[in-house]
Amino acid sequence: MIDRKLVVFGAAFVLRLLLICLFPSLPDLLTGRVEVSTPVNSFKRLQEGLFLYKGNVSPYDGGTFHQAPLLLPLFALFPDAKTWPLPTAIFYIIVDLVNAQALVTISESGQSINSRFHSAIRKHFRWNGVSVAAWFLFNPFTIATCLARSTSVFTASGILFAVSNAVSGNSINAMLALGLASYLSLYPALLFIPLVLVCYDQRAQGPQAPKIALFILQHAGLLVASVAGLLGLSVMITGNFWEFISATYGFHLLVPDLTPNVGLWWYFFIEMFDSFREFFLGVFWLHLASYVGGLTARFRRQPLFVITSLLGVFAIFKPYPSISDASLFFALLPLYRHLFPLMRYTFFAVSAILYSTLLGPAFYHLWIYAGSGNANFFYAITLVWSLGLSILVADTTFAALRDEWEQDNPGQQGTEVRQV
Amino acid sequence: MTTEQGDQVSPQVSTSHANESTVKRPPPPETPAAVQTRFRVIAAFWVVIIFLGFPIWWKTTSIYRAHLPIEEMVDWADGKACRPVFPLEIHLATPSMQPIEAQYLLRTTQHTLDDLNEFAAHHLRLKLANDSATVSHNAENGMEGAINAEAQAPDTTLTVRLLAQEGLAAPRSELHAATTQLDVFYPPSQVPVPSSSNSPLSAFIAEELQRLYGEEKATIAHILSGHTGGLDSTSPQLAESISRRLRRSMKYAETYHLSFSLFTPGSEPSSWDIEAAVKEYLSPLLQAFEPISNFTVDTQVQLYANFAPTAPRPEYDEAESAWTLKKEDLSAFVNAAEWPLNPSIGNGPTINFILYVPDPSQSPLIVKENRASSWIVPQWGGVYLLNPTLSNAEQGGQSNPAHLSHDSLGPAFMTFSHQLLTLLGTPSTPASLPLRLQTSIRIRAATLLLSASSTMGSLARLTESLPSIPIPASVASSVSTTLSHLGATCSHLREGRFGAALASARVAETEAERSFFEKSMVGQVYFPDEHKVAVYLPLLGPVGVPLVVSLLKELKRIAAGRKARRAAAAA
Repeated sequence: MIDRKLVVFGAAFVLRLLLICLFPSLPDLLTGRVEVSTPVNSFKRLQEGLFLYKGNVSPYDGGTFHQAPLLLPLFALFPDAKTWPLPTAIFYIIVDLVNAQALVTISESGQSINSRFHSAIRKHFRWNGVSVAAWFLFNPFTIATCLARSTSVFTASGILFAVSNAVSGNSINAMLALGLASYLSLYPALLFIPLVLVCYDQRAQGPQAPKIALFILQHAGLLVASVAGLLGLSVMITGNFWEFISATYGFHLLVPDLTPNVGLWWYFFIEMFDSFREFFLGVFWLHLASYVGGLTARFRRQPLFVITSLLGVFAIFKPYPSISDASLFFALLPLYRHLFPLMRYTFFAVSAILYSTLLGPAFYHLWIYAGSGNANFFYAITLVWSLGLSILVADTTFAALRDEWEQDNPGQQGTEVRQV
Repeated sequence: MTTEQGDQVSPQVSTSHANESTVKRPPPPETPAAVQTRFRVIAAFWVVIIFLGFPIWWKTTSIYRAHLPIEEMVDWADGKACRPVFPLEIHLATPSMQPIEAQYLLRTTQHTLDDLNEFAAHHLRLKLANDSATVSHNAENGMEGAINAEAQAPDTTLTVRLLAQEGLAAPRSELHAATTQLDVFYPPSQVPVPSSSNSPLSAFIAEELQRLYGEEKATIAHILSGHTGGLDSTSPQLAESISRRLRRSMKYAETYHLSFSLFTPGSEPSSWDIEAAVKEYLSPLLQAFEPISNFTVDTQVQLYANFAPTAPRPEYDEAESAWTLKKEDLSAFVNAAEWPLNPSIGNGPTINFILYVPDPSQSPLIVKENRASSWIVPQWGGVYLLNPTLSNAEQGGQSNPAHLSHDSLGPAFMTFSHQLLTLLGTPSTPASLPLRLQTSIRIRAATLLLSASSTMGSLARLTESLPSIPIPASVASSVSTTLSHLGATCSHLREGRFGAALASARVAETEAERSFFEKSMVGQVYFPDEHKVAVYLPLLGPVGVPLVVSLLKELKRIAAGRKARRAAAAA
């Protein structure tokens, strides 16, 4: 078992290193791709911020850098990525492996199959932790994100660690990790409610269950405190509180940069009348946030599944999505291997995703470089990509519902579904 | 959406066995827990919509309309709020007269002046130039006190010094060119005595003053009457010259950019003493204009500057022994295509001054019709043809000097100063420059007062006629600044403080323009209400329909449950 894990992790490490050594231009190529690098996670922009930071200028001057300030002292430790790319690359590979380790922990806790209120029927359909990690480590989207050195991987680490700590009962660590993820990219804060429910279910299985309202309040306080602590550290680095708040979170919330990406926001806000821009910003953000309540209420029995499907929803509807968000969703999906037989549109979803993965770069090239296409080419592909992901999210949700239903109504397994 | 779809599907699964389709088992009944969950899901969505969605909708789409004092603005535009008057204060210095005589002279002259004046808004007020005048003035304005008497005192427009001179048959006058002083020499015998009804001296002074301010009066009447007509008494020539001057002068601007360019078709002269020239000939003038406008000065030298190929060549005129250009060919000098005459430097209009040094082979160069070497281009600038003394070059031909000295630029810059005065709309009479500048201040104040007022009127009409455009708070504050400065201008004018009036009018004009051209107001002008359906429906329609339908179903279920319970209770 240990050996298999070593092999998988070692192979993932070597594969990434080989790619970097054999194709030295690959990381920079991927860094420049709009599918991988968005304004809020681009390594290039991080370098720009780092340069300003090292020159004792506010990193947010010039308006290209929109990432959390704590990344700067971290990356200042590494030698210049242009002349010495290897240390930074190895650091990113290690982050990937650490993420995979968190996945192993999540998978081996068995929370996705057996939780406080829920016990899946098809328990025998499951992958062990190493397979789940392998699925994550050898996913081309993950590899591309790692090579492109996108800072989304740190958010992914925060989320995965929050979940892995929650399923192993360390609710305090879980909140601290979620605080880090929220501090880095704001949207993970929406995961608070399902995550705190995971923690609560874990605690409630123990000898004495605490009161749920008090438990949630305590953990909310913890989350706020951890975010506040990180913000305090950031103020020590940047000096100007409002400048960095508006350059980072203001940028996330108001979406001023409409560089194309794989999401749905940029095209919509290019076309929107200026006077309605603020209203639709509110609509889009509320749309993103409104899933939390509904999904949590419906899947009270499986909060971990709520987290998974919310990550899928975020990968589609967040303002600056990239393939790294999709890769995080794909990383958690194999935990629900037992739902795969219940899914109905896997072929269609997988084809749509593959189709857009291949045609996306081609259409982008036609639009931007060849000039023989226009923005609608690329936008159409991002629609297909989002369609594929939404089918996948909807289909897993359906499968999970069906699983719950079969559990409630024994003897109905295998019956056909019909809407009445 | 996903949840709801699933939610509706899963509890209502109906089963059918493929091989025994005749037997239909009813779907298993919904458990109360499932109903409860569905209620929670729907409630979760509606809570977000009601408590976050509606406030955001309200906040982001409501049109902010700051309150504007519409009536006051319209009053200004209609001229009801202020009737601009121009009381010019003229001091009478009578060093060699008895106070009684002087008082009497003052009264009779004032009387004559008032009789002569037929434009009430513009009148001359005589005062004796001694301490008693100031004291009586302070007594009138007792409220303000003596401390700000200095600031409250009206500008003295002109000082008339009466000097007795023996051996004169009739009085004569002499205007100082550099100060605001008019000397009147009179024979001592003509000093008016209180017994006589009218005196030739007071008639002479009144006539003289009337003549001095005739053009200004006509100009202001012309402006105030809205360019339709002036005074009846204005002679046609004067009216023509005023409207011509107004046509030629630049539109008023806060800042003018003066651009001095040296153009020559050859390689020489390649340098000029422009800094010294500007300093000596122009800076005093610009300083004098400071209360009216700001100026920036740019200079350039352009060698090998050729005319457009289509422009006609100068011809040699034997009689004049000079090269001549025809009047209609002068437009070749406004040659923006090939000469870098900056059409705009920053904010505000550019006034171009071109110093053209012709090629040695075509020197001297003059205008054919009137032998002039300079002319003005209305609302654009001025041109001066400089024909420097040629020096013999080594190759036998003649050449221009390589450097234009400060002295050789003198005539050109004198001309440019004149042209600048004309372009800025300074009247051509009287001869004294300070008087002309004062006149210019009054004219500008009147113009700006009218223009800011009419901008206010337009803004008021605009906001009235388009109820859907937003009015930002900045517009409201600009409007209130404009109105208060307009009021200040008007009262300054009434008190005869023209410098202060112009300063206020400048602020009013700037603020009025800013409020009228506020960018965020224009956005929604072309956005009728029916377009909003097209904005809202495509996205919110599909999202809203399932939400609303599920809400209605849920409400129906709750109502049915209640009725059933009541029935059960009744039974």
